[in-house]
Amino acid sequence: MSTESQQRASGNGFARDTWINLKRWVVKTTRNPFVMTVSLLNPIIFLVLFTEVFGQITGGAISQSLGTDASYVTYLVPAIVVQTSLIAATTSGIGLVEDIESGMFEKVLVSPMHRGAVFLGKSLSEVLRIVIQTSIILVLGYVLLYVDTGASFHEYVATGWLGLLGVVAVGVVFSVWFTAFSNVMALVTRDQESTIIAVNLLQFPLLFLSSAFLPLDILPGWVQTVAALNPITYGVDAARALMFGQDVMTVVEVTSFGGMWDTLVPALAVLAALDLVLGAVAVHFLNQASSSSVQ
Amino acid sequence: MGAGAVRAGVNAIDAQHVELTYADGTEAVRDVSMEIPEGEFFGFLGANGAGKTTTIKVLVTLLQPTSGSVTVNGHDVEAEPRAVRESIGYMAQETSIDGELTARENVRFACEAYGVSADGRAERIDELLDLVDLADVADKQAKDFSGGMKKRLDVATALVHEPPIVFLDEPTTGLDPKARNRLWEYFERINERGTTVFLTTQYLEEADQLCDRLSVIRGGEIVASGSPDELKARVGGAVLDVEFADADDETLERAREVAADAGVFEDADIEVSDGGLSVRSASARRHGTDLLVALNEAGFSVTGFNVRDPTLDDVFLAITGDGLDDEASADDEAAEVAE
Repeated sequence: MSTESQQRASGNGFARDTWINLKRWVVKTTRNPFVMTVSLLNPIIFLVLFTEVFGQITGGAISQSLGTDASYVTYLVPAIVVQTSLIAATTSGIGLVEDIESGMFEKVLVSPMHRGAVFLGKSLSEVLRIVIQTSIILVLGYVLLYVDTGASFHEYVATGWLGLLGVVAVGVVFSVWFTAFSNVMALVTRDQESTIIAVNLLQFPLLFLSSAFLPLDILPGWVQTVAALNPITYGVDAARALMFGQDVMTVVEVTSFGGMWDTLVPALAVLAALDLVLGAVAVHFLNQASSSSVQ
Repeated sequence: MGAGAVRAGVNAIDAQHVELTYADGTEAVRDVSMEIPEGEFFGFLGANGAGKTTTIKVLVTLLQPTSGSVTVNGHDVEAEPRAVRESIGYMAQETSIDGELTARENVRFACEAYGVSADGRAERIDELLDLVDLADVADKQAKDFSGGMKKRLDVATALVHEPPIVFLDEPTTGLDPKARNRLWEYFERINERGTTVFLTTQYLEEADQLCDRLSVIRGGEIVASGSPDELKARVGGAVLDVEFADADDETLERAREVAADAGVFEDADIEVSDGGLSVRSASARRHGTDLLVALNEAGFSVTGFNVRDPTLDDVFLAITGDGLDDEASADDEAAEVAE
C-alpha cells in the first residue's frame, strides 16, 4: 500500500495529545446531559432553598460578621460555587474507573500518546465543566438577588466582572485537590460505586463544618476548630472575599496585604499547597497503575 | 509494506530469557525466548493462566519484564517504549472501546492517538468500518452494540495506523463464524502485505489456518515451537475417533480402559473426548479395526468410527499432557466466553 508510510504513527506533540484527550472527554460529557443537569441540580436546590428558608433570619449574623449589610444570596453563592466544583471533581475519578473497566485506560497507555497529556486533557475537560457550571450558578445567584431586592450587579459582586472571573478561578483552583483525591480513590478501589460513596460521604460534613453557610463566629467552638482545618473554608472564603471585596476570613488572621487580599492570599496559598500535595499523590498512583499490571 | 521499513537481520520481535514475576510472587512467565522475523504470522497457544496475556503485555510495553530483554521493531521495550508503541497495533483480550462514543468516533480517536495524518483520515475510517461490517451503525454509540460488534470495532481501532507489527490477544473470541472468517481474511491480507502478526488464540483451528509458526506455552514456559505441520508430525500417525451409543462418563472411562488394555497399539495415547474416545497412534490406520473388534467384544456399542490426520487440538493434548487440567481450563474458557 503506497500510503502506508505516511499513515504510520509519527508521534504527536504534547499539546496535540492533550487536545485529543480533551476532545474525547468533552464529547463524552455532552453524551450525558442528564448527569450534567443532575449534578448541577443539587447545588441549585441548596442555593434556592437556603436563601428562601434561611435568608430572612441570617441577615443579622452576616451583617455583624462582615460589618456591612449583605444579602444572604451574595453570602451563599461562593459556598454553592465551591459545592459545584466539589461535585464536578467527584466525577473525575468515576470517569477514570469507567476507563479502567472499559479497557480504554490500557488502550491509551499502549498508544504513543504522552501519558502526562492524557491526564492533562482529561483534567482540562473537567475544568471546562466547572467553569460552565459555576458560571450558571453565578448567573442564577444574581437572578435570585434581583428578583428579591432589585439589587445592582455591583451590589452582587463588589469587585465587578474581574472579581466574577476570580470566583470562577477559585472554583477551579479549589477543584484540583478533590479531583486528585477522587482519582486516588478510583485507583485504590477500582470500583465506581466505592468511589462515589467515598467522595459523597465527605461532601456534606465538609460543607457544613466550614464557613460555607453561616459565619463561623456564631457556630460552636468545635465547629470553628474543624472549619479551620477544612479546605472548603479556604475555597469559600476566597470566593466570598471577591464577592464582597473585603477580608472575610476568620480562621486565619492576616493583615499584611490589606482588604480582600488578607483573605485571598492565605486562602489561595493553602489551596495551592493542598493541590500540590494531593496532585503529587495522584500522579504517584497513576504512574504506578500505568507501569504495572492493569487488570 | 514500504521498502524503507524492512531492515535486514532485524527480527520484528526478539525476546531473550524474559521472566515476569508479579508482586505477589506469581511467576507468570519463565525464561521465554522467541525470535519472530518480519512478516511472520506467529501463533501463541496456551490454556488460560499459561502466561499468554502476560507475555503479550510485556511485548507491548504494558508490563516491564522482571528480567530478560525484548526488542520490538528493533526498539527496546524498556528503553524506548514510545518507539515500540508507535510500531505496534494491540488488541487486548478484553474488548476495549469507549461505549459513549460512536463507532466512527472510536476509530477517529484511535487515528488521532496514533497520529494518522488528517489527509485521507475520513476515508481510512470509512474503509475500516466497512471492513468490520459496522458502516451502517457508524454513527451509533458503541455501548448499544452486541459483544461481537464491539469486538469488531476494537479490531478496527487496533489497525488504524497500519502498524508493521500487530498483537492480537484472542481476537475472534465471541465472534460468530461469519465474522470470524472475515477477520481471518483480513489478518491474512495484512500479513501478506508484510505485517508481522502475533496472535494468541484458544481456537487451534484458527492457529492452524493462519500461522506460519507456533509456540505452545504452559506454566509460563514455552514447551513446543514449530510450524503447524511440524507440530502435527510430533503427534505421530493419525487419530481414531470412536463414538458410542451410550456416551456417559462412566461408559467412556470403561471404554478407555478396555482400549488401553487391548494391546492393539504399542504407543497409543487414548483420551476421552466429547461423546467418545480419541486414540492417537502411529499405527492408527493399520490397527484401527482391531480396536473396534476389541471394543465390540467387550460389549460396547460403537456407532461411529473415523480415522483422520491430527489437528492442533491433538498436538496440544500431546504436548501439555494428561487431559484433566486442560479440560478444567477449557471449561473456564468456555465460561469466560459465555459471560
